[in-house]
Amino acid sequence: MEEPVDTATAILASAAVLLRERMFDDISYRALADEVGISERTIYRQYPTRAHLLAALSSWIEQTRFPLPPFVTVSDFRAAVHERFRAFDALPAYAYVGARASAISPTLDTEPAHITRAIEAMLDVAAPTLNRRDRRRIAASLLYFSSAMFWARLRTGFDLDAGDICDAFDRAVDTVLAKLPSASAKWAEP
Amino acid sequence: MTVPELSGTQEAILAAYAELIEEVGSDDVSYRVIARRAGIAERTVFRNYPTRVDLLLATAAWIEATLFAREESHSIFDIPLAIRDAMQRYDARPELAHVVAETAMRGVSGAAPSPGRAHLERLLDAEVPSLDAAQRRAVIAALSHLDSVGTWVTFRREFGMDRRDIADAAAWAAEAVLDDIRDRVSPRPIT
Repeated sequence: MEEPVDTATAILASAAVLLRERMFDDISYRALADEVGISERTIYRQYPTRAHLLAALSSWIEQTRFPLPPFVTVSDFRAAVHERFRAFDALPAYAYVGARASAISPTLDTEPAHITRAIEAMLDVAAPTLNRRDRRRIAASLLYFSSAMFWARLRTGFDLDAGDICDAFDRAVDTVLAKLPSASAKWAEP
Repeated sequence: MTVPELSGTQEAILAAYAELIEEVGSDDVSYRVIARRAGIAERTVFRNYPTRVDLLLATAAWIEATLFAREESHSIFDIPLAIRDAMQRYDARPELAHVVAETAMRGVSGAAPSPGRAHLERLLDAEVPSLDAAQRRAVIAALSHLDSVGTWVTFRREFGMDRRDIADAAAWAAEAVLDDIRDRVSPRPIT
């Protein structure tokens, strides 16, 4: 594990340790304070509500445990998402935190996720003349099918493992990209 | 969508809590305040919902079944229309939409992330019975995912879309999922 550099990060690192044995809801500020060796008040100063803690924890986990492999082409994008789904399967407790954090009402001025920007950049290169509405509909669909929410829904609601989830993801991506006009269709092939 | 039987007291608790969530702008409302709003004793709330997670799961299910209830679709090819309507309903009640979205993603038993799954399966099997298992699963999974409040949250948050754009994009994606099977409906029996 990386050396925690500051209090805020140390709190997140300890919360991640506690997540291995209990759900996020069962991690009290009291227990977290004991784990870090600081006062409860210090935690409240960093994370005034549990929603703040959840959002920060999720983005820290994302950076340290689920880094997004870079992608430019659609096939690289598919491979990157497959890798993430497999990483989620290996650390489900962490992936659920990500799924949940992406569902809450944003606590701060949230920037779009890194993967959102990467998908938009991919489309800019692949289909530079595509109109804005279609581009955004495609980007939004691709993002939503590559999300921790998709993984969580298929795991909990459908009892699927990463292999099956990757298959469902690929099929969903195929249907979305099939909407592209034929001039752009070449790059959409797997 | 299955709605668990609720007692009058339970319904009063869930309605009071939903009302307070909208007023306060957060699900962080104490049992004492919920009890006062529902006009009952605090211990009655605890007796019905011993933990906050119990209360949230029940509230989210109740909101889905009442305020966010869908008009029943009689064909899988009507689902994009139901999704369009659902997105507009979420947009009108953003605080409740976030609570339902978060609750579905808790990863605990009872969180029911795909409450409409059985209904989608019934429609698909009746109309397009020829799909193989993997195709069938992929269509149901994609439509369940799109027909959920997570879509509204994600499109709004990541792309800054407004109500009209979210409803459009979600319905568009559902149409895309159906494109493959549009022309594979089993012929109607001649009567």
